[in-house]
Amino acid sequence: MKKRIGFVAAMAVVGLAFLSIRYYEVDLPIWHLLGGGKGLDPATLHLRGEFVESNLGAAEGPAGSVTVRMIAQQFVFVPQCIVVPADVAVTFRVTSADAVHMLSFLGTNYGLRAVPGEVNQATFTFTKPGEFKVPCHEFCGAGHYAMRGQLHVVPRDQFASLLPGERRTCEPR
Amino acid sequence: MSHASRVSRAPTAVFWLATLLGLFAIPLSLAKNHSPAQPANSTPPLRIPSDVAWTQETLTIISSGDSFRGLLLARRCNHCHGEEGFSSVPAYPNLAGLDRLSFWKQVEDFRSGKRISPIMQTIAEGLAARDSADLAAYYALLPTASDPLENRAFPQPMQDPSRATIAIRLIVFGDGQRGIPPCQSCHGPVSYVKGAPRLDVQNGTYLAEQLDHFSNGSRTNDINVRMRSIAIQLTAEEKTALSECYGAGLGPGANSR
Ligand code: HEC
Ligand code: HEC
Ligand SMILES: [Cu+2]
Repeated sequence: MKKRIGFVAAMAVVGLAFLSIRYYEVDLPIWHLLGGGKGLDPATLHLRGEFVESNLGAAEGPAGSVTVRMIAQQFVFVPQCIVVPADVAVTFRVTSADAVHMLSFLGTNYGLRAVPGEVNQATFTFTKPGEFKVPCHEFCGAGHYAMRGQLHVVPRDQFASLLPGERRTCEPR
Repeated sequence: MSHASRVSRAPTAVFWLATLLGLFAIPLSLAKNHSPAQPANSTPPLRIPSDVAWTQETLTIISSGDSFRGLLLARRCNHCHGEEGFSSVPAYPNLAGLDRLSFWKQVEDFRSGKRISPIMQTIAEGLAARDSADLAAYYALLPTASDPLENRAFPQPMQDPSRATIAIRLIVFGDGQRGIPPCQSCHGPVSYVKGAPRLDVQNGTYLAEQLDHFSNGSRTNDINVRMRSIAIQLTAEEKTALSECYGAGLGPGANSR
């Protein structure tokens, strides 16, 4: 009898251990329950905060640092085409307006999840100028397989000459 | 069970418990660094596409609409949008079967001037906030099936039926290379995103106009640039094909012929 209890307990621990690696499904909700997270409301991104549409895209900060802000939503990234300078550390800040999405920069090892209610941040340095596809790598619904953005990595001086003072993107106009 | 084995089991339980705690504690402590402070950047002038947000409050207001009151109010709209929600002028949108969220949002946007239309702005200003929920409830109920009076602009045969292939491909599959999701994944019938109206019983002329407005920036009321970023990528031929195809009642889901 005791042996069986021990066995069941061990299996429960293994099961929970397995769950604990599901970071976004298990750990994050627990963290929220414990009162963590400032609570970015996915429904009001367009009304206030750093993800309003006029603030999306690449922004040049002090000392030439570059920050890219993006929203992932069913089934488009906004901006759909991002432009960044080569050989500069670029900080991405992304969130989602609905489901969990994942940006994956094809041709590099970089990827970043977009989670509703959260801002995920990561800093990447792209060394090779060129155009990269940025498909969504987390199933997010019926249009998931066509959810695909673009990343243009351009030489530094070329980046500097793009629309100074605005948020930079390479959306067609 | 011997006494000895009970003693030896105790550390095992503690070990498992500690393991378990550790497994959750590490990712949870990582979560603390999850959203560091926002770096200082000068911000360009704020632009808000629409004052509507899909919060619980908004959804409650919309779902409280009374369709009978809507029926009475709809007299003001029949003249342009048709007795049964199907207009006789191809440039005026059909409202029959339009989903409530979409209907309500467009009326709000006309009222606030976020979607520019001199005609509809005056009309929306004449409606109380409650009225638009009632009207939305009424129009959502109208059938899209038959045309007993034969006075509708919908459907209208395609000018060039060979363009249907282009349209159906975009509607059903989208274009993954360019990042254009299938229209039917947001506008139905496969799935709907909040605020995306059905297109299958809409007038082609009206659709063509709206696609142009989204792509040339004269309509900017879609939340988070959703529809603009798609329309901007469509070629002129694709836009014509899509609007003619939907306008001919050939879009998936259309049951009106
Ligand atoms: C004088 C004609 C006219 C009348 C009367 C009128 N509308 Fe409209 N309505 C239009 C036109 C034209 C448009 C398209 C606006 C545009 O060009 O963007 C429109 C668009 C709309 C839309 C957006 C549809 C969509 O698919 O996005 C809604 C909703 C709407 N009207 C509701 C109403 C309601 C409710 C009433 C009555 C209270 C009404 N309209 C009365 C002409 C009219
Ligand atoms: C990512 C989701 C999404 C996809 C994919 C999408 N749309 Fe939309 N579309 C929307 C939303 C959301 C709106 C409502 C915008 C608003 O709030 O005013 C919209 C609005 C429209 C309108 C205006 C309708 C009206 O009655 O005012 C047209 C026309 C349209 N879309 C056509 C298309 C076509 C054609 C395609 C396929 C090429 C397509 N859309 C794909 C989300 C989408
Ligand atoms: Cu996705």
